[in-house]
This record gives sequence, structure tokens and C-alpha cells, in this order.
Amino acid sequence: MTTATASLGMERPTPVDPTTGKRIATGSALYNEVLEFLYDEAGMLDQQKFDDWAKLLAEDLSYTAPLRITRQGPDRLNTVVRTTLHFDDDYGSIMARLQRLGTKSAWAEDPPSRTRRFVTNLRVWESAKSQEFEVESYLLLSRSRYEQSQLQMLSCVRHDLVRRSGAGAFKLARREIIVDQSVLGMANLAVFL
Amino acid sequence: MLTESKPVLSDGTKIADLINLETREVSMRLLSDHEVYKIEMERIFGKTWLLLGHDTEIPNSGDYVVRDMGEDQVIVSRDRKGEVHVLLNVCPHRGMRVCMAEIGNAQMHRCVYHGWAFRPDGSFMGAPIEREQMHGNIFAKEDLGLKKARVQLYGGLIFATWNINGPSLEEFLGDSKFYFDLLFCRTDGGLEALGPPQKFIVPANWKAAAEQSASDGFHTLTLHRSLMETGQYGRATADDIYANAPAMYGVDISCKQGHSLRCIPAEVTFTMFMSMDELKKLSPDQRLEVLPPPGITKEMLPELKRHMSPEGLRLMAKAPPQVGGMFPNVLVLFIYAPRTDGGASGALALHTYVPRGPDHVEFTNWMFAEKSASPQMKRDMMANSVRQAGTSGTIEQDDSDTWPHMSRNARGAMGRNQTMKYGALLGEKKPADWPGGGYVYDGFTKDDTQWNWWLYYRELMTAKS
Repeated sequence: MTTATASLGMERPTPVDPTTGKRIATGSALYNEVLEFLYDEAGMLDQQKFDDWAKLLAEDLSYTAPLRITRQGPDRLNTVVRTTLHFDDDYGSIMARLQRLGTKSAWAEDPPSRTRRFVTNLRVWESAKSQEFEVESYLLLSRSRYEQSQLQMLSCVRHDLVRRSGAGAFKLARREIIVDQSVLGMANLAVFL
Repeated sequence: MLTESKPVLSDGTKIADLINLETREVSMRLLSDHEVYKIEMERIFGKTWLLLGHDTEIPNSGDYVVRDMGEDQVIVSRDRKGEVHVLLNVCPHRGMRVCMAEIGNAQMHRCVYHGWAFRPDGSFMGAPIEREQMHGNIFAKEDLGLKKARVQLYGGLIFATWNINGPSLEEFLGDSKFYFDLLFCRTDGGLEALGPPQKFIVPANWKAAAEQSASDGFHTLTLHRSLMETGQYGRATADDIYANAPAMYGVDISCKQGHSLRCIPAEVTFTMFMSMDELKKLSPDQRLEVLPPPGITKEMLPELKRHMSPEGLRLMAKAPPQVGGMFPNVLVLFIYAPRTDGGASGALALHTYVPRGPDHVEFTNWMFAEKSASPQMKRDMMANSVRQAGTSGTIEQDDSDTWPHMSRNARGAMGRNQTMKYGALLGEKKPADWPGGGYVYDGFTKDDTQWNWWLYYRELMTAKS
């Protein structure tokens, strides 16, 4: 392990690959439930239905987005840095963000961005707990504000832990968002990923 | 074209005339003009001291990070002797990029094109196949190293300049150094970068961000009003914010080199501290215990006493410098960031605004803590910082949404001839027993520090070259 990077929090293998559990088959009933959960979530966020989205979040939520850096040579695949984050939130701080969005002066999203969240490549695994599942999905976010004629784009993979919260229902207990750029092409992340 | 002391643009406009000293107006053309930008790359980014990182990012021999001075990419590396070098990341052979990664460790940087190799101090080791002497017979090896910038460290912060024979960093900081010492050089171990910086692109001219960072305090009331509506800052609602004006009264300082800071008493800023009426009755020492400055704990106070003068300590107790900037492109944000969930408060961040053409800027954001802070405090401070500043910061997402509009406006045929105005000056007012030098403005935060920023910009842009 190199020295400058020893303190960068790269002990966990990257990407976080939830393969310790049994794979849930694509198209199975459980798989479809998780897919609907993610589609519903994306719809809520794209339609700015933040109260509905808040109800999907578990109170022990961890919501983070590490940095990506460019490496070369033997360490070239160790590109996720967790000592600095683009998002570093828990349930309380997400609620504070939503409270801010409800004020009269959250200018960064007033006028709001027009977003489209394309959720794809869903893979689901069992976790150590029977009611919780390791979930990986790709997200392509397109975003435009004002009269911008070029869509801003951001792609990422989300490593989620989703937890059963009743028949056919889930809550998001953990999301780690791995972005695909070391320099983000957006002026801020005032939108959720 | 650069004539002796008055750069003149191709339409005959003198740069000096784009900043009107009598009316204190700055032409918006400066935010969009491509010729002006090229001149800035030579006269501002080619001449001043630029912040590149912190020495805790490269602790060991061979460690490096790759950063930017203007649009010139540089390798910031530590050699075997422990010295920090800043090297232009351009191969002297055919101009290829030498170091391809952004963070790493290497005792040798070998260009992938023809194999020329360089040490961490930039010196040339040789081209492959030594007997064939492929570096040629015109230049000696000693003259074929990577181009080197001049480097100085300050509180562990790595500054570099291409102005090899120009002022020292200390001279460049001038009267502001007394105040920055209170932030960067106050504990035995000093500051530690908590990780590499966040980086993102804002479609705006670098100066839209930089001139605001010259201690624009007034925008807080309107642009960051959501912080007051949510109850975090000030006892105010959306409708009476202007009547209460939290965080507007304090002491702003700046100096002739354009650096500035706002010294703000905590109890006029944050709701959480406002109910602490007893604060006013405490001695400076007692205040420091009850309400240490951002990033400082009670346990660190003995170190502060060793590193600061009694006057500096009194200032830190009453109204520590919390936000400001260093010319040309640094924002300093050492704020209380109080938490209601019991976690340690304080967020220490530094930004640089790296120009990427006249219409884009790369916002680079480092988060810090004192090295001696506990792991939990460091963890808390990272969260405090990320939640408020930078990429997803609830304060700064509003800022990064204003600069692009200014820059777009500056590209219009009418817009480029509009002006940015600095009409509201407080004028110098120094409180009795004020411990520091520079220009001191005690009262409502006005346009003084930003105007000083533009005056220094104008001085450098019109200097005899």
C-alpha cells in the first residue's frame, strides 16, 4: 500500500461488491419488488415529492458519496476515497436538507432543476439479515436548469442496503454513491442521487 | 499585447479603464473577455503565490499530488530529504504529460512517451539506453529537469509561485499574516487535511467566485437566507431577517494585497449561541473555555496560549476570523457550524478557484481539523463541512448558482459594459486595543474589502512588466 494514500480510507475493497450473500434472481418476485422501490424513489425525486421520499428513509440512514481519484499502475483500481465525501449525511441531516428545500429561499433549487433519473443494472443479494438486502443499481442523472440547452449528466453506481418495512415495502438504510468522475461536471449536488 | 504599463486590448480599450477608481465600478467585460483572461494567466497566476494543498497530503518520501497553477498542471512532491517541490507536469522532451495519476507515490516519474525519467525533486535522471544519449548534445542533463516553481510552506499549506525573484510569501501576505496565523499556526501539531479535495466545475469566470470570497458579508442575508429560515443562523424569520441582520456586524480586515477576513462574534451569528447571554460577562479566558473558536477544543487551549500573543488570544475569544480570502483565488472558511445532535462543532475549509478558461472554474475544496483533534471530532468536522460547504453544501450550493449567471450576463453585448459596483464603503474604523494591522473596518460589513481586492487586481494587471 502506498504512503500518500494510506490514510485515504481505502481499506475496503473498491468497488464495494456485495457478493457475500446469495444472488436474488432477476425477474423473481423479490427482485421486482426492489426494482419497483427504486423506480418509485426515482419518480418521487424527479417530481420533487420530497415528503414521499422522506418516508422511504430509515432512521439509521447513512447516505454518502465518496470521492474518485485517478490512479496509475498497481493501484489503478483503488480509486474510491472515503476520507473526503461529496455527500456525508444521516437521517437528521437529510431531513434538514428537506426542511431547507421547503423554505422560501433555497435558491439553488428555486427554480428547480429538471431531472431525470435513469435507474438500471439492478442486482440484488441477500445480506446477513433476512429482512435486509444488498442492492446495486446504476444511475444516470440528467439535469437542466434555466435556459441551458445542454443537459448536465452524472453517472454513478449506488450500493444500497434496503430493509423490509412491511408487505411489499422497503426503506433505504444505507446508500453509498460511487460517482464516475474525479472532477464533477456539475456546479453542485443540490439534487439527491 | 503588453505595452509598458498599460495593457491595451485589441479594440483599443485599456485594462486600467475597466476599473473606475472614482466611481468604484468594475466592468463586467472582465468576467468574459478572452484577451483579459490570457493576460491574467501571466500577470496574476504567473506572478502571485498560489495555494496548492497541504503538506499532510504528502507525508512521506515520494508522495505526490497533482494540482494546478492557473491552467498549468504541476506535480507537488516530497523528496527523500523531506523537501516539497512543485514541478510543471510537462516533459521537457516533447511536451507530454509526465505524471498521469492525481495522487500516488513514486521515487521516479517516467514519461510514458519516450521514457525520460525525473526524480521527485524534478531533476532529470536520463532517457532510456544511456549509451545512446537520447537527450541529445545541445542541453546538459542539469538543464533538462522539470520546470520548477518556487515553494513556501505556511502552517503546512503549500504555496508556489512562478515569480522566482518576487516577494516572499510573508511579504505577499503582508498585514493579513497576523490574522491568518491565528487560524493556521496555533497548535503544536498544526492542521491536517482530512482527505483530498472535492473538485467540481462551475460554469463561471474565476473572479465571480474570487471577488465574493474577498469577504462579501452582505450576501449572506439574502443568498443564504434559507439558513435563517431554518433557524440555524440568527433568531429570524424570512420576513424580519433584514431587521435583525445576523452576522453583519463585526470587524472586517484587509490589506493592500487584497487578502481579507471577517471577525464575527459568535453570539450575533448563531441561534444556538445567542441564548448564551452569560458570554458577555466572561473574561476572554473563560469565553475560550465555554465557546472555543471553530475547530478548537478546551484541551487545545494551552497550545493556543503558547502560539498566540495575548492580544491574538483575546481576538480569538471574542470575534475570531471566520471567513475571508487570500488573493487571488482562495476562500477561507473556519466557521462554528454548530450541531444540535451533540457532535463536535466547527468546520474548517479552504477553497481554491482554479481558472479553466474565461467561462469555467474548478472549485477545489479541502477540509481540515487540528492534528490533535480526536478521530470522532475529525469525523464530525468532515460531516459539518461537507453538509455546508462544497459540492452538496447547503450554504455553498446557492453561491455556485449565482456565479454562472454573472458570467453569462458578461458575455452579452450590453451586459459586458455593465458594471459591478462597490459604492458602499464603511471606511477604516479601528476599535480601541485592536491587535492587528492592515485596513480595519469595525461595524456593518460593506464593500471595502472587495474593493481592495479589485485595487490589487488592477495594480497587477497594469504593472510595468
